[in-house]
Amino acid sequence: MNTAAPLQAPLQAPLLHLERLSVRYGRIAALEEVDLEVRSGELVTLLGSNGAGKSTTLKAISQLVAPSGGAVRWRGQSLKGVATETTVRLGIGHCPEGRRVLSRQSVATNLELGAYLRRDHSGIATDLERCYGLFPRLAERRSQLAGSLSGGEQQMLAIARALMGRPTLLMLDEPSLGLAPKLVAEVMGILAELHRQGLSILLVEQNARAALAIASRGYLLEAGRVSRSGSATELLDDEGLQASYLGR
Amino acid sequence: MDHLLQLLVNGLSSGAVYALFALGYTLVFSVLGVINFAHGAVFTLGAYFTYLLIGGAVGANGLLAGLQLPFTLPFPLALLLAGVGAAAVSLLVEAAAFRPLRRRGADPLLALISSLGAGVILVNLLQLLVGAESYAIPTSALGTLPAAVSLGGAQVRTVQLLLMAIAALVVVVLTLWLERSRGGKALQAVAEDPTTARLLGINSDRMVQLAFGVSGFLAGVAGGLVGLSVSIAGPYFGIGYGLKGLGVLVLGGLGSVPGAVLGGLIVGLAEALVPADYSGFKDAVAYAFLFAVLLLRPRGLLGRPTITKV
Repeated sequence: MNTAAPLQAPLQAPLLHLERLSVRYGRIAALEEVDLEVRSGELVTLLGSNGAGKSTTLKAISQLVAPSGGAVRWRGQSLKGVATETTVRLGIGHCPEGRRVLSRQSVATNLELGAYLRRDHSGIATDLERCYGLFPRLAERRSQLAGSLSGGEQQMLAIARALMGRPTLLMLDEPSLGLAPKLVAEVMGILAELHRQGLSILLVEQNARAALAIASRGYLLEAGRVSRSGSATELLDDEGLQASYLGR
Repeated sequence: MDHLLQLLVNGLSSGAVYALFALGYTLVFSVLGVINFAHGAVFTLGAYFTYLLIGGAVGANGLLAGLQLPFTLPFPLALLLAGVGAAAVSLLVEAAAFRPLRRRGADPLLALISSLGAGVILVNLLQLLVGAESYAIPTSALGTLPAAVSLGGAQVRTVQLLLMAIAALVVVVLTLWLERSRGGKALQAVAEDPTTARLLGINSDRMVQLAFGVSGFLAGVAGGLVGLSVSIAGPYFGIGYGLKGLGVLVLGGLGSVPGAVLGGLIVGLAEALVPADYSGFKDAVAYAFLFAVLLLRPRGLLGRPTITKV
């Protein structure tokens, strides 16, 4: 099998490995034989336009939708038949599309529920302070209802909530969607910082330029298939990609 | 004046029953967005369980005619166990009437009908087993406690005090649990957004079961208390309470815990204040009141404004 392996990949098994993954919604093929991998410590981006299958890929990894073919492997083990709750326990954090904060709960409770599966109270307290340090706006608004936050603040909350689960791999579904350019830069800056601290990240984005600026590698999804993949520099120089996704 | 006080006490204690009933509805509704129509049957079963556990004998008409448990439990323990039994039945209802439909992604309205079916089956089974006669839980079940106490001129029956105290306790415990505990917060998360809850590692199925278990327990305890307070008027006696509990739920605001309590007390008081000569119109007064409130405030007294998801 010829997956798009990076040139200087570490020699251990990839953290996440999608093998010819296919997903169907009824008669419609949403994903067709997608091969993708994320190695430990990498920041990989999955690009593509609306409806290309980016969210479906993340949902299949989290087992929110069942694949119709192929496999999702986590540290070499197939996740077939594993419950979504268990993927969280295994270390896969999924920050869903459209933020999905619990609007009727406070900021603090949202973060607390992010650590739902953890029992290490001192570790949770440490991570909570770390999140408030990373997102000072959330600290100011910790007792406010999440539904009363601005879009940007809700996005910060969604990311912070996913971090509270202390994931091995953080998957983000379009964190830049609907944010002002300044906020997009802020979010990307934070992701780059988390990556520098050693977190593995799979970033789904429509905003190819912003994502490739911080990613080490990328994949381009078109109509459910991977049409291009390579290092961030290769993709930034790719003429086809430039024309359709980088607006040049 | 004494008379008015008496009416207030009567109203508050029957209101407490409605509140307990509506709390069970509201728990399940807030998690699944569906009314569990088998709730009335679970309430009825709680009353029969209590009756049997304190040593009551089955009458002459059912398949179990003459059955009597070989032991006699004190009333508080019997009530508690009846609550546990009712919770078990409630879980069974969830597994049979709700979960299979949820798995298939069916319209919530269908679960409403299947729960109605489960309720009818439970009530018919009950009739088959123990017959249709009414049973009374003797007030001697309260042991050495006096049957009634005098309170500022009004005669308050001990069981009325018990009902009010238990309802108050349940409200406090339930509110604290929902707002403060890890499980309660997780339940609210599932209620707001099941998919996101799963991505946080919360097992939604487990939470739904929890809601059904607690709601069944509350119904069972309420059933036992009503059995003690006014006797068990046959296998169908939960249905009237079930319908009124539904009215209470809508009056207070769907899915709201304080709303269920407020609604229960209002309906109980409204009924009690109907003069004795017109007691045949008690239900009409209660429902007229409900109708009037809904005209002015469609989401109920303490309901949240409806948010349309885009």
